[in-house]
Amino acid sequence: MGLLDKLSSWMGGGGKVVTVLVLGLDNSGKTTMLRTLTTTEQEGQRQGPGASSVPTVGQRQENFQSGGVSFRAWDVSGAARLRSLWERHYRHCDAVIFVVDSADHLRLVVARSELELMLSHPDMSGRRLPLLVLANKSDAPHALSAPHVASALGLERITDKPWHVCASSALSGEGLGDGVSWLARQLREKH
Amino acid sequence: MGSMSRWLDVEAGADDININTLPTNVTFSDLQNDNEVKLIIGDFGRGDDGPRLKIFKGAMQISDLTLPDLPLGVVSFYAVDSNPRPQPVIAVAFSSSVHFYRNLKLFYKYYLPSVELNAGELDIWKQLTNPSNHNEVIILKLTESLHNMPHKVLSIQSRDFLTLTFDEQLEYLENTRELPKRRSGEIVCISSIKLSSVDKHAVSCLVLGTEDGEVIVLDSQTFTQTNVVNISPVKKTPFQIVTTGVYNVDYRITVATREKSVCLLKRDWKAGRILFNTDDHIIAIEVFTTDNSVLVICADKTFSCYNRKGRKQWSLILEHRPICLTLVPISHLGMTLSAVALVSGHVTLYDGKYPRDNIFIRGGHLLLKILKRTADFNSNSTGIESSEANISQRPWLIPKKSKLFLEQAMRERENPKAMHEAFQQELNRLRLLTAQTLLEAYRKSDNFVGAGNMEPIRLSAEVEGLGPVFVVTLIVHNTSSERAVSGLSVLFQVISTGYRVHTPYIKVPLIAPGNQLKFPIKVEEVFSENVNPDVFFRNVTGQAGDGSVIKVLLLKEGKVSPVLAATVTMPPTDPMMIPYDKLETSNFGQNISQK
Repeated sequence: MGLLDKLSSWMGGGGKVVTVLVLGLDNSGKTTMLRTLTTTEQEGQRQGPGASSVPTVGQRQENFQSGGVSFRAWDVSGAARLRSLWERHYRHCDAVIFVVDSADHLRLVVARSELELMLSHPDMSGRRLPLLVLANKSDAPHALSAPHVASALGLERITDKPWHVCASSALSGEGLGDGVSWLARQLREKH
Repeated sequence: MGSMSRWLDVEAGADDININTLPTNVTFSDLQNDNEVKLIIGDFGRGDDGPRLKIFKGAMQISDLTLPDLPLGVVSFYAVDSNPRPQPVIAVAFSSSVHFYRNLKLFYKYYLPSVELNAGELDIWKQLTNPSNHNEVIILKLTESLHNMPHKVLSIQSRDFLTLTFDEQLEYLENTRELPKRRSGEIVCISSIKLSSVDKHAVSCLVLGTEDGEVIVLDSQTFTQTNVVNISPVKKTPFQIVTTGVYNVDYRITVATREKSVCLLKRDWKAGRILFNTDDHIIAIEVFTTDNSVLVICADKTFSCYNRKGRKQWSLILEHRPICLTLVPISHLGMTLSAVALVSGHVTLYDGKYPRDNIFIRGGHLLLKILKRTADFNSNSTGIESSEANISQRPWLIPKKSKLFLEQAMRERENPKAMHEAFQQELNRLRLLTAQTLLEAYRKSDNFVGAGNMEPIRLSAEVEGLGPVFVVTLIVHNTSSERAVSGLSVLFQVISTGYRVHTPYIKVPLIAPGNQLKFPIKVEEVFSENVNPDVFFRNVTGQAGDGSVIKVLLLKEGKVSPVLAATVTMPPTDPMMIPYDKLETSNFGQNISQK
């Protein structure tokens, strides 16, 4: 981080740092989404969006800002055998971004079951965490619309958490801004 | 269904899929090299629709190829070993040829070598084609003798000729001058075997079973015959081939035949041997790759398992006629289940001989089920009651009465009073010890959960970090549902001088009923000027020893003794994280030389 970035974070960021957990199945676009978010913040100084990313192993941390809130995002691997690591992060997170590949019709049920497992975990149930669901890859052919994804995931049954679903494209960055600004608004109200 | 299902149902609209095929025409392949397995079905078609090769991605049909004839087997394999990974080849077997598709385009046709014509048949045809014989009496006589020949040895031309009516036969003979040349062989089943490696993308070659009872192995590159073996010294007709092992090393080809027997072929065998015979017609077989035991479903509704030597291990009676059998490897649980489909539409998964799960499917439809990540196949399965019944039917394993047991029983009969008194004494001593330990824990406040007269508080601690600075998160949890707790404070007691606690004393605010408070506290491991070289050889994952214990005392206003106490054992600092300056000033090199 350069001096300019530090300055801007002191002046504009407001200093509030929240931890968000980025979850989703493998190949749903979590890493690409975070890279798009971080590069738009830093004016594309690093590699531009569109470059393909390798599957995440374990977890990585990324930082970005939106709506006066500094996000510390944990990008956790979505591979089936590493999904049991998700719950290690539940206790420390203030919000969850759940990324769904809306063109992967087959594994929507898997995403739904993982979401239900996550919401019923003792460290998550009963906490009023904002949940942002990104219906990612909305530009792909045969992609489902955001309301379709919401009903396929059974989001209407979540009553103890504020949730929001929006169609997005991690490659182009479309729809990400809306979702993240909703998340920032929720977190500002809460804190 | 009892509790929750192990499966997730895919709801993508697969209702309009109308499939009419046999189990041998269904296979899976990563057709586009995108790590997503596609379902490949050689469909017979219904009504006017001819046979087609259908490719499904998930529940969506992505491709459709017209096939020239009814398929009798579809196999997918890798024909070459190259980098990047080549596209798999789909081989579709028809009655006497195999068509190879790469990239969904036909690129090679293999025909079975033809067989010389029977001399008698040739003789009849010579007379038939002679125009002078074209009158009703002679033709009828010749057709009659053609009829009397065994159907199996006849050429296609003769068989076609026999199905015609007399007028058609006449017309046919008017136009035909040529004799049937050779009789082509007939393929009955198709399979593949890995050539030199069991790797998932390793090169395989095709294995064909013919109507004449031969097994033909085709070269993976040139698609020519490399090996032809008879499956049995006696005439047997194969209808299903299962291969295990690696062709260039050691392999077993297990063949189910129409004559109620299973034959076995091994490397370097000149002919196959009969492994075992069954009571009724075999419907399908499967072979476990681990121990080469053979599963068989038969027309008499039995499902049996034979070991590699052909001895029967167990047998089950099924409710309905079975139609299909397959193995379901579940790699993350390290087990292989077998699935048996019944004519009623039920599919039962078996672990060994015990049923574990049940699925129902309607005919002609495609059902996609994904196994849950958390699913297991232990005996307390969902939806199956018969498994418990099976277990209860087994006799209890009761060991025989040993000499030791008899002697003990004798002693008990001789002096019961003394033994009872000794037992009671031991019991009382145990109770006293328990009470003493409880009292001591109460007096020393060496417990982390408050109960009874004590404060309804639970104290727990977690240590995070690699060192030398750790974060100890204390969690003070008020377990009472109606009483709030106030006037608490936390005091850290460091036993050795090896640690420095940044905030050793914290006042705890009021905790509402059922709530908890967290206190992250920094604890730093302090290294003396001379770092002991042993520090570098401490096990990072283990404990640092006796000196690493920190006591956390929970105090209450107005009480002399602490309410609760927790002992935190600090992990040792990662050697990579030990401050560099300490290493610079340390002179442990000299220490060693002095020793």
